[in-house]
Amino acid sequence: MQTKARRPLTERQTALILLAPFLVTYALFLVYPFFRGIWISLHDWNLLAVAFNPDAKEFVGLRNYERVMWGRDIAWGFASPVLQTLGALGLAATAWAYLTGRIARFNAVVLAVVSVLLIVLPGFHPDEEGRWYDRRFWPTVGNTILFVALAVPGVTFTALVLAACLNRETRAMGTLRTLFFLSQVLSVTVVTLIWQIMFSPRQGLIANVTGVLGASPINWLTDERFAMAAIVIATIWWSLGIAMILFLAGLQDISKDIYEAAAIDDATGVKAFWYITLPNLKRTITLVVVLQIILHFQVFGQAHLMTQGGPNDSTQVLVRYIYQTGFRDSELGRASAMAVFLFLIMGAFSLIQFAVGREKS
Amino acid sequence: MDRGYYWLVFALAVPAFLWLVPTLWMVSLSFQPNEVLARTTSTTFFGLIPIPFTAENYAALFAFGQTPWWFLNSLIVAVGMTLGVLLVSTTAGYALARLDFPFKKTVMVICLVGLMVPEQAVFIPLYTMFADLGWHNSYHALILPRMAVPIGVFLMMQFFQAIPKDIEEAALIDGVGRLHIFWYIMLPLARPAMMTLAILTFLYAWNDYLWPLVSAQSRDYFTITLGLASIQSNFAQSEGLGRVMASGVIASLPVVILFLIFQRYVVQAMTVGGSKG
Repeated sequence: MQTKARRPLTERQTALILLAPFLVTYALFLVYPFFRGIWISLHDWNLLAVAFNPDAKEFVGLRNYERVMWGRDIAWGFASPVLQTLGALGLAATAWAYLTGRIARFNAVVLAVVSVLLIVLPGFHPDEEGRWYDRRFWPTVGNTILFVALAVPGVTFTALVLAACLNRETRAMGTLRTLFFLSQVLSVTVVTLIWQIMFSPRQGLIANVTGVLGASPINWLTDERFAMAAIVIATIWWSLGIAMILFLAGLQDISKDIYEAAAIDDATGVKAFWYITLPNLKRTITLVVVLQIILHFQVFGQAHLMTQGGPNDSTQVLVRYIYQTGFRDSELGRASAMAVFLFLIMGAFSLIQFAVGREKS
Repeated sequence: MDRGYYWLVFALAVPAFLWLVPTLWMVSLSFQPNEVLARTTSTTFFGLIPIPFTAENYAALFAFGQTPWWFLNSLIVAVGMTLGVLLVSTTAGYALARLDFPFKKTVMVICLVGLMVPEQAVFIPLYTMFADLGWHNSYHALILPRMAVPIGVFLMMQFFQAIPKDIEEAALIDGVGRLHIFWYIMLPLARPAMMTLAILTFLYAWNDYLWPLVSAQSRDYFTITLGLASIQSNFAQSEGLGRVMASGVIASLPVVILFLIFQRYVVQAMTVGGSKG
């Protein structure tokens, strides 16, 4: 037998060997499914029918998108005066703030785009003869946006105040941080289990405490007025931790000298927070807000387990609707079209996140 | 420390306690008899103190019911996923950080784009794919999809880029192969980053809900997170509140213990996970 000394691998060969496990899994379980998802969305694809007979799907082009997002005789006008006025005001405020140099161009563009969307999107409505092909889709998107609009400021504000208070390296502060962070590591099903019982009008801790104070119990999870608030409260309780930690990291970067200089001018406590901490944390705040938007737009477990999307669809959210359309109604084509819609929204926010992250370096 | 500091700690202790109350309540209810809980959940101090006390719920969990089995499933899936992610992330991270090869830029951009794809956007095609392969209701079906997530690769790549190059160059001059350098020199150095990544992955695997929900239809392959979801909707008829709460405590124990022991890594891991997807 030959005993030739083994030739060492070239750099290229080594790279190929080392990259192979990742590239294979990445291609198989992310890249391929992604494109396959788009492909499914272009078909009339019934989960059960196709499972029995792979040819039972039919190419329908963009019809799924139309069936989900469009309707018969859709017109545009001032169908939702409140939102559209808000959009117009937002646009005016953005223009004013940008022209007077109060906000940077990037922020102005983002705000302007949001305002314009607020004017344009709610304006679409079916006229007397028409109707949406899917009456639940846009209300579901609206609920998701409402959830984000409540949870994100709630988490951001609470986390910011807490981080500012807890920003000292002492043992007591460390313990307090641990306590606030602890709920973050729980799984969504534990969180919903706890809060389902917490909110129960008969067995719940909240009802028990308010009962002692003489108030009649609220049907948090089954009353249309409170259901959304209930899942927002549970969400804030659950996901405060990351935001707080990110703010604490941001606070560490602010030099102590600035505070000392300000203290000479009698700016301490709330004043110092307002005039020093907030302006210096601008970038971190933007980052946390964008992150939270991405995270909470994908809300599923809370709505699925606590309220089952109800009462009367008031907490039906996008991912839950995708799940139901796909796995309860077996309409994979339509569900995939919604998933692509979700991806586009997430992608837009991810791009903003990249842009904000870049600004730093 | 001035007086203001003590006031601040005191003022913060109240909301911190309130923040802990829901968790405490779950633990406390899990130690109370089901018959009592069926009547009232606020026997002693709104139910926050487990009197009357019983460990019956935990004994019942282990005697019958599937919770221990689900717990084991979760362990297998979480450990398997963690090892898998460590394997693909350290190797690819090192190659991207240190080696030169054709289309390197392209590979990096493709991975970066992958960060933008949320799980919710690919779970339907993944479902049909795994169904075609007949892979559902198995451990690999629960483990494999998450191995494809590029965040670990970027984490490891950034870590390897920060290690000074001269360590490797000395070894290269001595004629040591790249694979040896990777295995015997770089991996031991990367232990802290691997720890962070391992914890991030373990937490994700333990708490993941959507993918197990569609992939594992057989109760034998439920993870504890999924199992808990399946019993919480109609516990009143079957299990009893105390036992469901005990399941919740059991489901949370590993992650809470992990958090309390490796707090620094967990916080770091969740920050990385939070800020990159």
